[in-house]
Amino acid sequence: MRTLWLIILCILNILSIFHFVQKLRLIYPLLLLLLASYSRIHAQADSTVVKNDTLDYYEMSLEQLLNLKSHGVPTELEKLINSLISVASKKPLNVRESPSIVSLITEEEIKKSGARDLIDVLRLVPGIDFGSDVEGVVGIGMRGNWAHEGKVLVLLDGQEMNEILFACNMFGNHYPIEQIKKIEVIRGPGSAIYGGYAEYGVINIITRQAEDINGVTVSGTYGQMEKDFGRRNVNLMMGKKIGDFSFSLSGMMGQGQRSDQTYRDFNDSSYSMAGNSALNPKYFNAALAYKGLSFRVIGDFLQTTMRNGYGNVIRDGTQVESFNSVFSELKYIYKVNSKLTITPRINYKTQTPWLAPAYDNREPYNKTATRTTGNITASYNVNRYVNIVFGSELYRDVAVDHTDSSYFLNKKQTISFYNYAFFAQGLIKTRLVNFIVGARFDKHNAYGQAFVPRVGLTKKYNRFHFKALYSSAFRAPAIENINAADSNGIKPELTQVMEIELGYQLTHKSIFTVNVYDIETKDPIIYYTSLDSSNTDLYKNFGHAGTQGIEAEYRIKDKWGHFTINYAFYSAANKQKVDLYKTENSASLLGFSNHRLNLNAGWNITKKLSFNTTASFYGARWAVTSLDSAGKSVQELLAPQILLNCFLRYMPVKGLSIGVGVYDILNQKFKLVQPYDGGSPPLPAQSRELVFRLQYDLNFKKKQN
Amino acid sequence: MDLKKLVILALMVCGLFGGRARAQETNYKAYTLFIYNFMKYVEWPEAQSKGDFVIGVLGDSPINKELQALVASKKLKGRTIVLKKCNTPEEATSCHLLYVADSKSSAVKQLKELTKDKPVLIVGEREGLAKKGASMSFVTLEDDELKFDINKKEIEQHQLKIASSLVNLGILIN
Repeated sequence: MRTLWLIILCILNILSIFHFVQKLRLIYPLLLLLLASYSRIHAQADSTVVKNDTLDYYEMSLEQLLNLKSHGVPTELEKLINSLISVASKKPLNVRESPSIVSLITEEEIKKSGARDLIDVLRLVPGIDFGSDVEGVVGIGMRGNWAHEGKVLVLLDGQEMNEILFACNMFGNHYPIEQIKKIEVIRGPGSAIYGGYAEYGVINIITRQAEDINGVTVSGTYGQMEKDFGRRNVNLMMGKKIGDFSFSLSGMMGQGQRSDQTYRDFNDSSYSMAGNSALNPKYFNAALAYKGLSFRVIGDFLQTTMRNGYGNVIRDGTQVESFNSVFSELKYIYKVNSKLTITPRINYKTQTPWLAPAYDNREPYNKTATRTTGNITASYNVNRYVNIVFGSELYRDVAVDHTDSSYFLNKKQTISFYNYAFFAQGLIKTRLVNFIVGARFDKHNAYGQAFVPRVGLTKKYNRFHFKALYSSAFRAPAIENINAADSNGIKPELTQVMEIELGYQLTHKSIFTVNVYDIETKDPIIYYTSLDSSNTDLYKNFGHAGTQGIEAEYRIKDKWGHFTINYAFYSAANKQKVDLYKTENSASLLGFSNHRLNLNAGWNITKKLSFNTTASFYGARWAVTSLDSAGKSVQELLAPQILLNCFLRYMPVKGLSIGVGVYDILNQKFKLVQPYDGGSPPLPAQSRELVFRLQYDLNFKKKQN
Repeated sequence: MDLKKLVILALMVCGLFGGRARAQETNYKAYTLFIYNFMKYVEWPEAQSKGDFVIGVLGDSPINKELQALVASKKLKGRTIVLKKCNTPEEATSCHLLYVADSKSSAVKQLKELTKDKPVLIVGEREGLAKKGASMSFVTLEDDELKFDINKKEIEQHQLKIASSLVNLGILIN
């Protein structure tokens, strides 16, 4: 009966999303009622289970009691929402009391959804979207705001992946999706902990570690778009924990393409992106650990091809562009006693992003930047209810220009900067509320200082929880922001964010959360290209920016599968004073839909077979689609679209999984809009893509549970 | 739409769901399961090891219902388990195991005096009571794991012996 109901609900939801396009206000209450009634059915089922297992309950051994939660034997959902995360506080706290608006994505959900890359995973998170930058690069948006340059921090196994010349991250067939154990997303600021790249959000990717791999895993993915292949990637992971020692080594290499559609610029020049929009990653991640001492090195090399340059089709033909990074970390977790832990670490990263030859009238770009960071963090548990975290960080950046044609603002081909920071945080847990207060102070030798405090109140009361958060955050100008500042110089942009979250666990297997936010950014760092023939990149602090919005999510998780539906709404609310981002509608910003709805439903048909469907509904979006006769941008409201995907996963024997899926079933030929008026028309994404995936896990020894 | 309207909308949507539902409330069956194991892994003096085993509950607590189910279905090493509802601390001194409901937490200091040198295992529902004189008290850890604090000094003062396997399961506070 439950299965039948799930099928009906999935179908109704998909139909509802279609209907939503036309009858938004009528269908939504209906959808909520359906969900509420569904949870009621489950509540009844839950109580039946509890009654039936009473006798076995008292026969549990002491060992079994170790896993007992305060509400009894935890369901799959309770395991998830009570799991500890430290991304929002350094001190591990459960998801419902963590002092940030958090989304948690598990390895199981990623595998079952058949996600092709991080874009597929993150676009299902409320508030997250993607847009196109220049030269074929796709970046991230957060709650309606273009956050590509230095506003969202991406951490991979603790390493800051943002390149430090512009502080960007490149998305699309990039990071190894098959190797991820979980992703913790902070959909709000994290600067009080992480500093100047965490102004609007933090994406903390944790890959499978030695004990998770516990053997060898190989996997391969092939994707076929309408006109050409979409991706062909291979992954290898190996790892083992032997006593206090552990090691892991993982790698990925492959080829992919941004699109097989036709790109057409404002002058009506065009080219086929099939064969001209490569996304070819090479990646390795090696880690050694002995007791508290650990060493990690990550190599991340993404080679792309593009012909769209800064908007106009490149006359010189398709160009190769590379983004190369190597990260390393030496860390020691020193447990002084049961209360005090001191963690010193040294990080070194070297990056050569945006490496491109000269084309048309543009100069070649070939610069390497290195960052050496020393950090020491102490965590002191005064008692079970009071924790203090404090520390300091010092980093030094060095950038080298390898070309003969350009130099840095110091008129040399090498430039260096340094930054030091102090941070502290206090957490007090009481019966009534958890109180968290923290701050970080940064001082940079070029752009000055930034001080970002935050205060949070959180608490769960049985089925209900709330979070009330105030955070100040900043975006640190990256090396090229400083280097290409206009005559007024550059300073950090400062943001104030207020957030309230309410959550209610309806049954042991379902939870509903809703949050509102208000983001206010002063003096945002704005990128623009000079209008003269030099096409120079320039940066300045200008105006005012921000959004307000609401995000809601309903989640069911159980042994039979999972069902998640979420909705995100933002409004520029007359906060936006930057012409580059504005549209003809004062509530909307370029590139990002005011209304987004996502669905993720997975059904474990048998122990070996699962079926998953994901859907992303995009409300109407504003985009610059042409130029008028005077060369001025003309905006157009793009029609709503829905990206519908499905994935079937079969595990015929232990360790082997075979998957097949279709992405963009409706073949919407989705386009990624440039979220600022930067001279580029919308960038075509993949057409319908058929995806095959094969994975084999060879365990050295059966895990002890 | 301004922030105020968004907050109202959020509350309304939450209210839609808030009207129904049961969910992750404290599961007193889990507490009862622990208590049953306390009974099994704590040793009372010879004189108190015969006859009925008396569980006293001081104050009103939802655990009563679960303890009634336990008493009806289980025995302790062949002994009948009896449930006794106590209205005052004085009534509670003749029990083997005394469960102090959250609402009666302030009575722990008095109970400590009243049961001094008597073989009574005082178990507190509220977190922190073990530090105030109870033998044990329940605690919910950060990941919702159910644990219990152990005041070994108090247990020994009450002429009780706790098995090391049970000690390993709890958190020693002294």
